[in-house]
Amino acid sequence: MSIVTVQLGQCGNQIGFEVFDALFNDSHCPGGLCSKRENEAYQASCKERFFSEEENGVPVARAVLVDMERKVISQTLSKAARSGRWKYGQHSCFCQKQGSGNNWAYGYSVHGPRHKESIMNLIQKEVEKCDSLSGFFIIMSMAGGTGSGLGAFVTQNLQDQYSSALKMNHIIWPYGTGEVIVQNYNSILTLSHLYRSSDALLVHENDAVHKICAKLMNIKQISFCDINQVLAHQLGSVFQPTYSREGSFHYRRNPLGDLMENLVPHPEFKMLGVRNIPQMSENSLAYSTFTWAGLLKHLRQMLISNAKMEEGIDWQVRPPLSGLPPLGKMSVNKETHFNTSIANLVILRGKDVHSADVGHHRALKRVLCAEHLKIQLSILPG
Amino acid sequence: MGRRRRRQPDPADAARALPEAIAALSRTLPAAPSPEIFRRAKFDRPEAAPALWRLLFHVLSPLSADSASVSFTLEAQVRWVKSVLHSQGYPRLALVQLQDDGSQGGRELLLALAWLLARGPLPERLLTQSHVRLGDEMPVCECEALASPGPPAPRVEAEGSVDIRHLQWLMGKLQLRWRNLMAGQQEQCALLGKIHSYTRGCHSDRSLGHLSVTETELLRDPEGGRQLLQRLETENARLEAALEWRHRELVFWRWMDTVLDTCPLEASPPTFLPRIPEPGAGAAGLPVRELQALQEELQALQEELRKAVEARRAAWQAAVGGHGPEWRAARRALQVAVAQDLAALQWAWEQGKGQARPHGPRRLVRTEARVPGRLGLWATEATEALRAREACLEAMLHQLQGQCRQELARLVGVRPGLIWVPPPAR
Repeated sequence: MSIVTVQLGQCGNQIGFEVFDALFNDSHCPGGLCSKRENEAYQASCKERFFSEEENGVPVARAVLVDMERKVISQTLSKAARSGRWKYGQHSCFCQKQGSGNNWAYGYSVHGPRHKESIMNLIQKEVEKCDSLSGFFIIMSMAGGTGSGLGAFVTQNLQDQYSSALKMNHIIWPYGTGEVIVQNYNSILTLSHLYRSSDALLVHENDAVHKICAKLMNIKQISFCDINQVLAHQLGSVFQPTYSREGSFHYRRNPLGDLMENLVPHPEFKMLGVRNIPQMSENSLAYSTFTWAGLLKHLRQMLISNAKMEEGIDWQVRPPLSGLPPLGKMSVNKETHFNTSIANLVILRGKDVHSADVGHHRALKRVLCAEHLKIQLSILPG
Repeated sequence: MGRRRRRQPDPADAARALPEAIAALSRTLPAAPSPEIFRRAKFDRPEAAPALWRLLFHVLSPLSADSASVSFTLEAQVRWVKSVLHSQGYPRLALVQLQDDGSQGGRELLLALAWLLARGPLPERLLTQSHVRLGDEMPVCECEALASPGPPAPRVEAEGSVDIRHLQWLMGKLQLRWRNLMAGQQEQCALLGKIHSYTRGCHSDRSLGHLSVTETELLRDPEGGRQLLQRLETENARLEAALEWRHRELVFWRWMDTVLDTCPLEASPPTFLPRIPEPGAGAAGLPVRELQALQEELQALQEELRKAVEARRAAWQAAVGGHGPEWRAARRALQVAVAQDLAALQWAWEQGKGQARPHGPRRLVRTEARVPGRLGLWATEATEALRAREACLEAMLHQLQGQCRQELARLVGVRPGLIWVPPPAR
């Protein structure tokens, strides 16, 4: 099944490019541990999800690019075409000239209705190219005007027009010491609207990713490109083909369906986060060895102590012993920093995956006083 | 010299007839034990019981013998078999009273099996269910699925308080699974369409015209072809066993009579009073007198039962009737509603009487022209029938939703201090 990506605004388009690039490169990288047949199955599955085939054989990303300014979209299109390995569709983008001025209402109430038909037509064309649709993946930031306001509008329209399709919104949480003055307003407005029309909200915080770049990847001058690449790496590991735990001979067909069924069945708890381990720069790879047991232990403590990366984990935090806290006795001043997620999903990739023992994580699933849902990921260099 | 000697019936033949009959039965049923187990079961030997429980489970469950059923413990299988037999009307109480661990009751299980065999063509029905299908099939109705008992459900403990959020979670999970199922089915249809159109002209059978998925796999992968051949051969063996069973059945039923005789008498409720002949003198009079005593006892019991029922009914009516005219009005409304439902059902049946409802699974064939005289069901007709059914069900859903809304409105009115926050309308 295929996923149609909608890239909105400057942030959405830049991230979207990195995501497709990461997905393509991952599925086509030489080497690796699997047989040729396995590799081909993996490639085929990845390709069907994110790319469609054009006459001259170059894969075309299943994406619609939307922005109110021309600059970023043309940069994105040319970067993709330059690589020569994959590209965006020529007619898959929509841009205007005037921008949104970081104004949520401008994106939602002015640009939205004005350009609704053109944008929905583009999406419709992309959907028709799919044999079957797993759902929509909408990339946007919350701070700006286009991504947030227009994003909320587009998601609502997708809900109306494709009510049976799943929608996951990828939201970029702005820096605390923000870039935009009105980012708080934009964020709240976006979240409240998305909560009604989206099925799942996958949140990436700029601050957290920035720290990952600084501490784990050892990048001196962190640019948005670096941040986007880390993001793309995390997203890729979520969306690449997977087997189920019980074992199977074929890759699972419906990536969004699997994620949502396990993580967001409850209509009031829709927010998701991603945690990845290990994250490091390419150079350090040669000097490191990993074991599943070690990685899983770190990942588990990252989850319990609400840490965003594997450095600086607080090992003192423990899960509460009784499972369910008594209802109505939630004291907000509890400084336990214990993670309060409702559900978790672990995706493991790498060598000897079947020997990895995920262990006794059930206790974590019963804590029902939560606001957040998290996904766990574990990545091993292949 | 050419004159055929008349064969005397060989007593050894008679001795062999029963095991051969049971062996034929074993070969045609899924997961059936050996004839030796059957023999031991007649004498209620403990080792026979688990095998027979498993046999009944496989015979009654709609799932195929491998996949999900291996994950159920014997205890779960025992409980499920009991509930299914009960729902199908199995009369003997002794089966229900058997222990859940499946360690005893071989004789009762034999009787249950015989009951199932006697009710209908069981081996043939099972064979139809597990029939190897070469074409891509799709069911056009739900009758089979609705009539068969569902798979065993996990035991739900009715605890004191129910966490609404947990229920919402489960409900949401169910809805998402449903959506995923729909998406998966749509994908399957799209891909089937592609395969059927790509393999046009490849089939040796002109009326079909194109290959199915199984047939395509057969051509692509010789290993798959070998496995298909094996499955066909197994099915053949089972069909032959079924034929043999039909020839030899009589021996089995005679043997089952002896099994029934060895069972202790069961105290089943009397459905009628036996007619007792006039008491005669002498030795014959003794049992007759006993019979008369029995009859009087039965009558007394029935009188007691009737009184108890009346007392209960009066008590219930007193409890319910305390609401007075409101209750009578509600009852009248209920009667009117039921009459309306009945009239609607009758009307719907009258409408649909002319068209034959399509049933059962059908092989999908993609063809261009409408060849006259061709047997089979056109997709357009099937979809029309399904749409009519969908309209009926939607009407029912709206009615039920309206009732729910009324009930909610009534509840809201009952507690004025409560603030209701409905979920956002979709």
